[in-house]
Amino acid sequence: MKTFSSITILLAVLLVILNAGIGCLGDGTMDETNELKPVEVRDYQGEKLSSINEFRENSIKGPQQVGVESYRLKVSGLVEDPRAYTYDEVISNYQSYEKVVTLDCVEGWSVTILWKGLLIKDLLAEAKPLSNARVVIFHAYDGYTTSLPIEYIMYNDIIIAYKMNGVTIPPERGFPFELVAESKWGYKWIKWITEIELSDDVNYRGYWEQRGYSNSGDLDKGFFER
Amino acid sequence: MKNILKKNPARQIVHWLLLAVLALYLLTGFGITEYRVVEHLTFGLLTKPLAFKVHDNLIIPFIVLLGLHIYQQTKKKSRP
Repeated sequence: MKTFSSITILLAVLLVILNAGIGCLGDGTMDETNELKPVEVRDYQGEKLSSINEFRENSIKGPQQVGVESYRLKVSGLVEDPRAYTYDEVISNYQSYEKVVTLDCVEGWSVTILWKGLLIKDLLAEAKPLSNARVVIFHAYDGYTTSLPIEYIMYNDIIIAYKMNGVTIPPERGFPFELVAESKWGYKWIKWITEIELSDDVNYRGYWEQRGYSNSGDLDKGFFER
Repeated sequence: MKNILKKNPARQIVHWLLLAVLALYLLTGFGITEYRVVEHLTFGLLTKPLAFKVHDNLIIPFIVLLGLHIYQQTKKKSRP
């Protein structure tokens, strides 16, 4: 009986060791990585970040669902070589950049987010802007538009983002691309960008600008046209 | 309305003005945060930029009227 008990215990110990060994070594199938739901970054280099969910929804027609298959980002207007890129072409063919920028909304709220995207000047360089281009007009999927001077885009490393806090921009936040218009009021941060048009019309006014908001959109000034 | 105004016209004017300003203050507040709904309900009259301008300019009248209202009420209560 004693021998039987000893053998049972010995077998049990062996079984535990073997099981642990298999777990450590793996059997081939364990190497497969299953992608989990992305988790947003909330702290970047010691800086606390806001959550994606802290934005208030205030777009002109509500959240837009842009189909990635049919999506094209057009670069048009005063360029030598107009272009139309797929979503994948934009995110894989250009150097990506990350920066933490705060969006300040005219409504009084703000969010600090880690943005990842590409420089607009890299996109424009490929399309070769004409010398008389003065203004960059952004068009969105919902018909919203806004504009910024070409110098602002070129000399401030302005990006269009496809990730925020390490997560792909969700549809309600502007998928596929949102303009990170740093040092500008929130209405310049156009979401769901479909077209970047170069123009010589310095008097062009976007959606809110036509309704009285400042065309410069500078954060250090009021947001109403004086 | 005429009788009320006869009793104490200044107080009544302050009361009604305060109520009107308060209602407008609330409406324009919603005109900013829920502008799509408010624009629709006001047949496009109260736009978001207009709501901003009115809302911003109402703060001083609101404080003045509220101050007057409180003053009138305390004066009324302190009377023997």
